[in-house]
Amino acid sequence: MPMNAKVVLSALLLVSSFAVGANAQDGPFPGQQNRGAIASGGTLYQARCAECHGADGKGVAGHDLTRLWTLGATDERVFQTIRNGVPNTIMPSSTAPDGELRALIAYLRSLNGPAAPEPLRGNAENGERVFATSCSSCHAINGRGGRLGPDLSRISQSRAQLTEAIRSPASSIAAGYQPVTVITRDGETVKGALKGEDAFSVQLMDTTQRLRAYLKSSLKSFVRDPGSLMPDYGPSRVSESDLDDLIRYLSTFRPPAGRPRGEP
Amino acid sequence: MIARRIDTKARTALLAVVLGSGLVTAQDRAPSGLTSQEIAQGYKTPTRWPTYSGDYTGQRHTPLTQITPANAHRLSAQWTFQTGIIPRRGYEGTPLVVDGVMYLTGPFNTAWAVDARTGRQFWRYRRDLPNDLTYGAVSPVNRGMGLLGNRLFLPTADAHLVALDTASGNVVWDTVLADYKIGYAATAAPLVVKDKVIVGISGGDFPTRGFLDAYDPQTGKRLWRFYTVPGPGEPGSDTWPGADVMARGGGATWVTGVYDPELNLLYWGTGNPNPLYYGEDRKGTNLYTASIVAIDADTGTLKWYHQFTPHDTHDWDSNHVPVLAELPIAGQQRKVVMVANRNGFFYVFDRANGKLLVGKPFSDTTWARELDANGHPIVLNDGSKGCLPDQWGSTNHMPASYDPARRLFFVTVRETCAAYLPVKEEIVPGRISNSGTVRRDADRSYGVLRAIDPTNVERKWEFKYPTPTMAGTMSTASGVVFAGDNEGNFMAFDAATGKNLWFYPTGAPIWGAAAMSFMLDGRQYVVIGSGTNVTAFALPPS
Repeated sequence: MPMNAKVVLSALLLVSSFAVGANAQDGPFPGQQNRGAIASGGTLYQARCAECHGADGKGVAGHDLTRLWTLGATDERVFQTIRNGVPNTIMPSSTAPDGELRALIAYLRSLNGPAAPEPLRGNAENGERVFATSCSSCHAINGRGGRLGPDLSRISQSRAQLTEAIRSPASSIAAGYQPVTVITRDGETVKGALKGEDAFSVQLMDTTQRLRAYLKSSLKSFVRDPGSLMPDYGPSRVSESDLDDLIRYLSTFRPPAGRPRGEP
Repeated sequence: MIARRIDTKARTALLAVVLGSGLVTAQDRAPSGLTSQEIAQGYKTPTRWPTYSGDYTGQRHTPLTQITPANAHRLSAQWTFQTGIIPRRGYEGTPLVVDGVMYLTGPFNTAWAVDARTGRQFWRYRRDLPNDLTYGAVSPVNRGMGLLGNRLFLPTADAHLVALDTASGNVVWDTVLADYKIGYAATAAPLVVKDKVIVGISGGDFPTRGFLDAYDPQTGKRLWRFYTVPGPGEPGSDTWPGADVMARGGGATWVTGVYDPELNLLYWGTGNPNPLYYGEDRKGTNLYTASIVAIDADTGTLKWYHQFTPHDTHDWDSNHVPVLAELPIAGQQRKVVMVANRNGFFYVFDRANGKLLVGKPFSDTTWARELDANGHPIVLNDGSKGCLPDQWGSTNHMPASYDPARRLFFVTVRETCAAYLPVKEEIVPGRISNSGTVRRDADRSYGVLRAIDPTNVERKWEFKYPTPTMAGTMSTASGVVFAGDNEGNFMAFDAATGKNLWFYPTGAPIWGAAAMSFMLDGRQYVVIGSGTNVTAFALPPS
C-alpha cells in the first residue's frame, strides 16, 4: 500500500530508535517546561545536536526531531536515546549530566507543537477491508501483511500527505524502498527495493519479498528505476469514498499526542 | 583533575617485548627515545611511522614495497584493536609506530600503547574530562599524538596539551592551551619540529580566535603563538569590521601541518571565520581565515599566506594537510606546497614565497571554475543558480597522498549538492555559532577517489563511491593506493590505473582517517581505523 516518503520512514525509524530503554517514567519530567530549561536546552542543542539534526530540529543528516512526541515518544525514551545513543549509527551516547539532558528534552518538546486536529471522516471498518484487498500484500500493520513497502503500524502523516502517498507514490520514495533492477551475468532479471549499496555490492528485497545480495562484479547491469514499486492508486482503483475509509482506518493507528503507543 | 594511570605489569610487558623483538638496537632502547633528527628522517627506518603524516612532507607516501598491485588481493586482517569507545563520527586518528610499539588515540582523549604485532595493550590513558565541554562536546575526536624522546604529546578536548610517558602512559606535564569554556578544544596531532611541539587549536565554530602554538617538549612552556586572526591595528585587521569581531573571528588550526627543514617554514591551514554561515556582521575578507599560512618555525612569525576563500560563508575551512613536493612547472623544477581545498580548487604554490603556480578546480563545483589575478575564486554561483558543495566541502580534513614517481595526487572528493540557509544569531561565548542550516540533496551527492596530475589538475582516473566519503588516502612506492569509503570499505587500488585490487568491509564508515604503514618481522603492515576499531592488514607470511 501507499507510502509517502522519507518523512514517513524517518518518522518510523525515529520512533523505533526512541523505543530504547522505555520504562515506567513515561510522562514529562517534573519542571520540564519552564522557560529557563528550554533556553538552556536550546543552547545545548545548538552546540551538540544541530550539526546533524539542523538548527531548526528538522534534520540535516539526522532525523527530524520536531515530531517526536506526536509520534509517541516520551521524555524518558528520548532521555534514554540521548544517553545511550543509537547503535550502528552516528548518533553517539552522551556522558552529559542528567540535568543537561532534561534541559535538552525541554527544548525538544518546545519544538514539538501539538498536532493540528483533522476532521474525522470515512469508515474505518471498510478501510480495513480496502487495506486487506489493496495494500496488505506489500505493507504490514501490527506484524500482519507484506514487507516490500514500509510498515504502516505507526502513522503520522496528515490526510493530505497520505492521499498523495496513495494516489502518487512516486512523488517521494523513502530510503530503503528505491526501486532497482539488476541483471545478472547469467541473464536473470531481478526487480526489487534497494536496501543497501556500496562500491562493490548491492542488497535488495525482490518483488517476491526475498532478501537478495549481489556483488556488482557478478552483474551485467544495476539500474535505479524511476518511480515507485507501488502503482498509482488513482480513483479508478481506489474510489474517493474508499480512500476516506482507508485513511480513517490508518489513522486509528496514530498514537495520541504525548502518549506512547500501547499505553492506555 | 588529571587522570594518572599506570600498570606495572603492562610496563614490564612492554619492556619484555621491546627487548625480545630482536629488531631493535641498544641505541634504540636508550631512554632518550626517538630524536628530532630521526623524526626529520621520516620513513628512513622502515619499522617506524614517527609523525602524523609519516614524514614532514605530508605526502603520506610510504617507500615500502612489499604490498604491490600484483599481490594486494592477498591482504588479510592480522589483528583488530577494540577501542571500546563509540565515536561521534568515526575513528579519525593516525597511530604512530616506533620499534614494535603502536601509540594510538581515540575519542574522549583516550590513548593506548599496543603491541604492533598483535594489537595487545600495554597501557591505556583516559583523561577525566569536565562535564561542561564546548567544542569538545560537539566533536570529541582526537586525530593523534606527537612523539619525541620518551614523550607523547596529546591535545585534549578541554584545550590542554598533555605529555605522556611512552612506557607507562603517565602524565609528565599538562599545559593549558586556551579556555575550553569559551569554545576551544584541541584535536589535531601535534607536529614535533626540532626542539618544539607545534600544536593547533579547534573551536572556530564557536566565538574563538584561532592560533598556532609552539611548546617546549621538556617543560610544556609556551615558546610562541601565532594568531590566525590579527589584533587591532595589525596587518590584516582592515579585513574585519572591528576589534570585537576579530576577537572571536575563528580561523582554527585543527589539522596537522607540514614542515620544510630547508626553509624552516611550517605550512598550516586555517579554518572558517566565525560565525559560520551568516557573514553580514563580519564584512571584509576576514584574514587569515580559510587560508594557508607559512610560519617561521623558530619564531612563529608569518612569512606568507594565501586566502583560499575570502569571506567564507560555507564553513569551508582550509584545514587540510598541505603536501610538499618538487614539480616541473612551466619548464622549471619548483619546490612547491600543494592543497586540495574544501572550496573545490587545487592549488600549487612556490613554498618559499607563496607565489601561486597552479589553481584549478578538482571537483565539479559550480560555485567557481576559475581564479582571478589574486588567486581568488571568481564566484559564478552564490547559491542562487542551483546547489553548492555542502558545508563539508569538495574534500575535507582527511589526508590526501602524493606519489612523486607517478606524479599523481590522490584525493577523496565529495561531489555534493546543498542549499545554505543563513540566520543571524546572538553570539555567546561557549555557544556554537552555526548561524544557519545547510540542507543537502542526498540523491545528487556522491564520493569519488580521484588521481590528478598536480601540474595541470588533469584527472587521470577516478573510482566512484555511492555516497560522499570522508576517508583519507595513503600510497606506496610499489604503486598501491589505500583508501576508504562511507560504506566502510577499506580498499587498495592500482596507483597507475585506478583499478580496485582489494577491499575489506570494516563495518563502519572510514571517516577522517587515512592508512599508515610500517615493517615488522619482515612484513609490511597497513593500519586503518574505522568505527570503534583499529585493524592491521598484511600479506600472508612467506
